[in-house]
Amino acid sequence: MGLVGIAGGKVLSSFSVFLFLTILLLAVARRISTSVLLFSLQSAVITAEVLATAIQEKLAEAWVVGLLVLVIKVVAIPRAFFVLARRLKTVRDVKASTTPTQSVFIAALMIYLSYAAVHSYGQAMHVPDDALAAAVALILTGAFLMVSRTKAIMQMLGLLVLENGIFLAALITTFGMPLVIEIGIFFDILMGLLLMGIFTFRISDTFDHLDAAKLRRLRG
Amino acid sequence: MSLGTAIAQALLLVLGAPLVRGTIALLKARLQRRRGASIWRPYADLFKLFRKEELVPPTSSFIFRAAPAVLFAATVCAAAFIPVLRPSALLAARGDFFLLIYLLALARFFLSLGALDGGSAFGGMGASREALVSSLAEAPLLLGLAAVAILARRADLAGMVAWTLGQNVFDISAVHILAFTALAMVTLAETGRMPVDNPTTHLELTMIHEGMVLEYSGPSLALVEWAAAVKLHLMLALLIALFCPWGMAVGNAGWGIAPAALLYILKLGILMGVVSVIESAVAKLRMYLVPDFLGVASAVSALAVIFTVLVKR
Amino acid sequence: MHMGASGAAFAFLLAVLGLVVPLLLLAGRRTATQRLALVLLLAAVSAGCAAGAAGFFGETTPALDFSRATPFRFLLAVDRLSAFFLLLICAVAIPVTLFAVSYFERHQAEPRRRWTWVFFSWFLLSMIVVVTAATGFAFLIGWELMTLVSAGLILIEGDAEERRHNVFIYLLMMHAGAAAVLAAFLLFLPVSHTLDLDAMRAAGMALPAGVRAAIFLTAFAGFGTKAGLIPLHLWLPRAHPIAPSPVSALMSGIMLKTAVYGFVRFAFDLLGGGPWWGGYAVLAVAAVTGVLGILYALAEDDLKRLLAYSSVENIGIIFLGLGAALVFAAHHAATAAALALAAALFHAWNHGFFKSLLFLGAGAIADGAHSVNLNELGGLGRRMPWTAAAMLAGSCAIAGLPLTNGFVSEWLMFRSFLAGSALYATKAQVILPLLVGILGFMGGLAAACFVKAHGTAFLGRPRSAGAEHAEEAPLVMRAGLWLLAAGCLLFGIFPGLVLRPLVALAGALLPGAGVPEETVSIAHILPWVGAAVAAISLAALLLKRRTRPARTWACGLPALSSRMQYTSTVFSKPIRFVFARVYRPDRKVERLPVDTPYFPISILYRSVRTTSFEKSLYRPFVDGVVWMARGLRRMQTGNIQVYLLYIFLALVSLLALLRFQQ
Repeated sequence: MGLVGIAGGKVLSSFSVFLFLTILLLAVARRISTSVLLFSLQSAVITAEVLATAIQEKLAEAWVVGLLVLVIKVVAIPRAFFVLARRLKTVRDVKASTTPTQSVFIAALMIYLSYAAVHSYGQAMHVPDDALAAAVALILTGAFLMVSRTKAIMQMLGLLVLENGIFLAALITTFGMPLVIEIGIFFDILMGLLLMGIFTFRISDTFDHLDAAKLRRLRG
Repeated sequence: MSLGTAIAQALLLVLGAPLVRGTIALLKARLQRRRGASIWRPYADLFKLFRKEELVPPTSSFIFRAAPAVLFAATVCAAAFIPVLRPSALLAARGDFFLLIYLLALARFFLSLGALDGGSAFGGMGASREALVSSLAEAPLLLGLAAVAILARRADLAGMVAWTLGQNVFDISAVHILAFTALAMVTLAETGRMPVDNPTTHLELTMIHEGMVLEYSGPSLALVEWAAAVKLHLMLALLIALFCPWGMAVGNAGWGIAPAALLYILKLGILMGVVSVIESAVAKLRMYLVPDFLGVASAVSALAVIFTVLVKR
Repeated sequence: MHMGASGAAFAFLLAVLGLVVPLLLLAGRRTATQRLALVLLLAAVSAGCAAGAAGFFGETTPALDFSRATPFRFLLAVDRLSAFFLLLICAVAIPVTLFAVSYFERHQAEPRRRWTWVFFSWFLLSMIVVVTAATGFAFLIGWELMTLVSAGLILIEGDAEERRHNVFIYLLMMHAGAAAVLAAFLLFLPVSHTLDLDAMRAAGMALPAGVRAAIFLTAFAGFGTKAGLIPLHLWLPRAHPIAPSPVSALMSGIMLKTAVYGFVRFAFDLLGGGPWWGGYAVLAVAAVTGVLGILYALAEDDLKRLLAYSSVENIGIIFLGLGAALVFAAHHAATAAALALAAALFHAWNHGFFKSLLFLGAGAIADGAHSVNLNELGGLGRRMPWTAAAMLAGSCAIAGLPLTNGFVSEWLMFRSFLAGSALYATKAQVILPLLVGILGFMGGLAAACFVKAHGTAFLGRPRSAGAEHAEEAPLVMRAGLWLLAAGCLLFGIFPGLVLRPLVALAGALLPGAGVPEETVSIAHILPWVGAAVAAISLAALLLKRRTRPARTWACGLPALSSRMQYTSTVFSKPIRFVFARVYRPDRKVERLPVDTPYFPISILYRSVRTTSFEKSLYRPFVDGVVWMARGLRRMQTGNIQVYLLYIFLALVSLLALLRFQQ
């Protein structure tokens, strides 16, 4: 199979550890720029997994998908975030509602839960446990970020991490999604981000801040 | 393994420690675009200090003089546990990592007592902060080492290293990556490096380890500084032995020692480079953010232990 | 009645402690009689040591039957487990008695002192009866006597209002615990028909699972109250600090171990391992106890309260070992269970030695410096060097540092937790190794706590006049201290002396256990490490050097005052800040009003720390009981019509019951 093949086979399993590390670091990250960088790293790891699948399954489509992920999620979206953050002149702190120690223990608990959840599933579908657990853990982390970070930008990032997880889960269980579905999902995400970007601008313009906690005062 | 090689390993760790410190200082200086002192400078410092007169506060008790000696003795004994060139060391077969960590704890206990005996506020401050940092660092240190021990099914360092040597180098296990992350963070905390403590600070309010040794002078200061350097060297050697031991001379052949030594110097050089980069790039954490740092290390090491069960399934 | 040399020694011990010494003390007026009584006390305790050692190291099991003199069966037997605890009691009692001879002579006047010694010997007698009782009646008599006599010892020292309040809480909680223990005994009755330990052991196998679980829980609750497990620990920091120091040493060093003995006897011997979830329950409670105990100890400035909370932590450690042993036994891993049980029992032994040493040292400090408040001490290392050296050995032992006995028991416990990863049950495989982290955390905090305690008391500069003019303790007190310190060091470097018979004892309690090889390997390496550390330290100390006394640099000021040092309160501040959720102090700051608020004349800062258990657990419980009592009081209206109504209602309900039964 050659060194590339062996590496490809092991990549799915071993790279999930790097995904777990990005999850833990996202839980403790204090600055928006750090969180965006971590998201970019996460997407890079997922790109590697897509390419490894491409090599192992010899799918031409997967190469296109991998390129798309690289261009959009590793380069374009993070750059858009940085531009947005600079335009909004937002304070760089993440404004988490849990302390770093609590967050990291919650993240560790989520990782353990995802392992427990996928154990029987993974055996039935002949997929590596680690990668599937990483996908579920990413979904949970995205949800946790959306809940515990009160800045609107961070909630967008949480949605993106969640989408990373869904993408990874689909990748593993189907060994490469059809290209059409892939492009459809990407367009969905892009539209969602555009809308959220516009709203964030409006919120910041009207209220001079992006703190979702303070927006509660708007209720009647 | 022969007694000569074992003693040579321990001596390498002890005598090579100031060189490690000097190299890290030089690398930091070059990264910060300074010329930096020579890598042999710490040896010159030690030599000078051993010949100097020692000042002893008249209000101190015998602990002030005994602490550096006990500290040095405990650290040197701990250095005899670590396999460097061969997968065994002077005490590695019978002694396990718990004894190693607790010998370092003995050293730290006496250092804190010596700091309090000086009778100044700086010693108390250093000791009180050290109490916080060390009590929080114990758990991730023990858990990280325990995770590797569980995988190896052995708790003595020789057995753990031998098991790792028998593994395929490409078989990266989640347990190892998590344990290495946790242990690396704890190494920075325990040896008093950035971002937990600044080893080159002159501001007493930012000192932890330096604050504890502030009142020492002459040969006592030389012993304390040397012990701190030995601790740094042995923690780095421990990381290398547990996570990347390939290249150690296995078996009775004597000629395997030279390539093993060269590989060890190479790995140590990489680690020293990483430490220098971290020290130059990262700012020191505020005192009450250090528990968060160590809390992350605890969670990562606990996860490593939990993963040992998941890996074996 | 089996007699023999050890039996005779045992009988001698009981007779002297129970009858001879009190008679001599109370009846004789001359000092020679008093001295004879004390010498006899020491001789009796030494005989007890011999009897205990014979039972522990050998195979003899002397038994004494007093049933003819008592309404219920009163049988005392020294089997292997009892012999271990008997040896511990007597071995620790010898140095404590030596210390107490000098201590009570200096601190108490004549009539009180005699009664103190009478109660002292009865205290020892009660503890010996508890650990050697072979029937329930004997056990409970000893149990109650322990509480009453120790309360008496506390009250003899002084009965101010606050002391009486603390003793009241002590008696209350001890009686509640005794009630639970009695319940545990009585639950055996339907199957065993008597309360002899042999009959109970045989019945233990035949009990239904529900009853076994109930016995386990009641025994755990009852013995846990006596041992000081959280949340039943409230009496410990109230009772131990106010007792005279030798009595505190006995209470902390030995009395808590009788609770450990009771729990081991019930869980391992009579029930044969308890229910499958028992070990996990014990582990959970023990982990919380250990962590909270040492955190509370760190926040204390009174040395004796600090030591009391530290006892709570060490009881947590012992029960961590017992819980691990129960888990292993439930999974049929007998050798690992033997390792954990041996670790727990060895820690009980070691704690007896170093905690007694520390309490006696606190007594010596109280004697010499007239204070046990760490913020008022300092520099005692120069004025009381022998006491300081002994206390240093005790502090190193309790911090679990190598070359002291505390390290060996904690090491054994760490290794037993690691062995949990070899089981075939996922829950145990995950939980037991994680306990390594928790025990390590507790060990780190304990080391910090005793750096604080030893450092602020003995090192640096004296912080008060009392500390400045402190006197070294008299020779007899120092002898007691040094005997215990020597024990700590001896069992730290040569643990095999006690470990080998302990492993045999654990093997007897856990059928099918082999000898865990960890107990052998540690005994081999520790002497070498000890020799190496000692040799290198000596070499470093003997280096030729010139020293010159020079005052510590004071940043340009003329001199450092003792107020510029760190105090004990400040030392623990970082840890108290990080763990603020645990401590939750009530803080109040008052400024004396003046014209301008910027230059107040004085600021009053009051910080009150009550443990959160008092606020969130005990207060609601007590309030609930009082509320129920008030509600019940309403039934007593004093109106005769209402009482007739009650009788009428009772008749009606009986008739209705009769109707529905048919």
